[in-house]
Amino acid sequence: MAEIAFTELKADHLLTTCRGHGNVGPVFASKGEDVGEVTLDVPYQLVTILSMIYPWVPQGKIAIVARRCDEKALNELVKRGIFDAARIAIIGLACDAEQIAKCSCSDPVPSKVHIGTPNKGVDSDELTVKLQSMSSEERLNYWIGQFRKCNKCFACTTNCPVCFCEDCVLEERTFVAEKGIPPGLAFHLVRSFHMADKCIECGECERSCPGDIPLLTLRKMVLKDMKELYGFSPGDQKSVSPLLTTLEGEPLEGDDHVC
Amino acid sequence: MSDFNPTILAFCCNWCSYAGADLAGVSRLQMPPNVHVIRVMCSASVKPEYVFKALSQGIDGVLVLGCHIGDCHYLTGNHRTAKRFPLAQKILRNIGIDERRLRLDWVSAAEGEKFQQVITEFVAEIKKLGPNPLREVRL
Repeated sequence: MAEIAFTELKADHLLTTCRGHGNVGPVFASKGEDVGEVTLDVPYQLVTILSMIYPWVPQGKIAIVARRCDEKALNELVKRGIFDAARIAIIGLACDAEQIAKCSCSDPVPSKVHIGTPNKGVDSDELTVKLQSMSSEERLNYWIGQFRKCNKCFACTTNCPVCFCEDCVLEERTFVAEKGIPPGLAFHLVRSFHMADKCIECGECERSCPGDIPLLTLRKMVLKDMKELYGFSPGDQKSVSPLLTTLEGEPLEGDDHVC
Repeated sequence: MSDFNPTILAFCCNWCSYAGADLAGVSRLQMPPNVHVIRVMCSASVKPEYVFKALSQGIDGVLVLGCHIGDCHYLTGNHRTAKRFPLAQKILRNIGIDERRLRLDWVSAAEGEKFQQVITEFVAEIKKLGPNPLREVRL
């Protein structure tokens, strides 16, 4: 791992996940430092960690272990001028078949694979198909039942790699009441809308949700609509795109506060 | 359901639709009294968040009215609106709320009659759809 980062990619720092104290956590090591026991079998949103430490690393190239979804998240953040693309090197990690099945991921292979063997993606999600065959009444009852489990812990926003707004609209009292749990349907509708042009289907919201709300399915449904309406899938490298905050042909730079 | 009287919000842009609503009123055009008009500076300043909040609190239908494409006082405001609201409708449908409860239309300052027609049609449509299922839900 250290060899790929520091010799092959000529990076100055490495961000990866390691095992320690019986847990898996992120490790940031500079050239010459001991990285530790690298482990990559647990999905971990290193891009979220990178967003946090990026302002505190003023110089040098950072190598980051990225699955296809992390790579797309980096693209989205570079587009919006949050990261400098020249300062980031990607160590491509291909997901194993088990992980792909868990995420129902359709696009699991990074553009350059350094670790792991590429596996084919899954085309359809069982729950999405089931929900689409339901009547709208059944669907509403299903989602109300799911959203009742929400305790407004904000794990879905905190762990999201592409949630970058300084002031979150969900913390504004206009849309979500200060008191009261569950927070109501508006919370999830607003979040769906805000993620529509940047969600990269990593599934971290679903994994971190203590209520096990199938949030990834909700995102997948919105992304499908986004593709049908505007032919747009988040995560590409175009600097202009049909997003909801800009019009076609408008530059994206400076679009760092969409809320 | 003949005794069902829907509550409807209409966001009208200051420069066109609100003036259109005014014209409809001055011309004494008859239309159902179920609509609460909210004046906004531009249809693009209606965040879909407002619509989601209104619907999740039990409003039966939301109308967003702006200037015709090309006539926006802020040049590109209604282009943005036209981009956001189809997606907002899809999100509502995914959750299981009928997307017809949200409607986007263009009414210019000279179109008092169109304002009357949009309101009459929308109220009739919402009456057909019935009350918002979320009205009774405590979430």
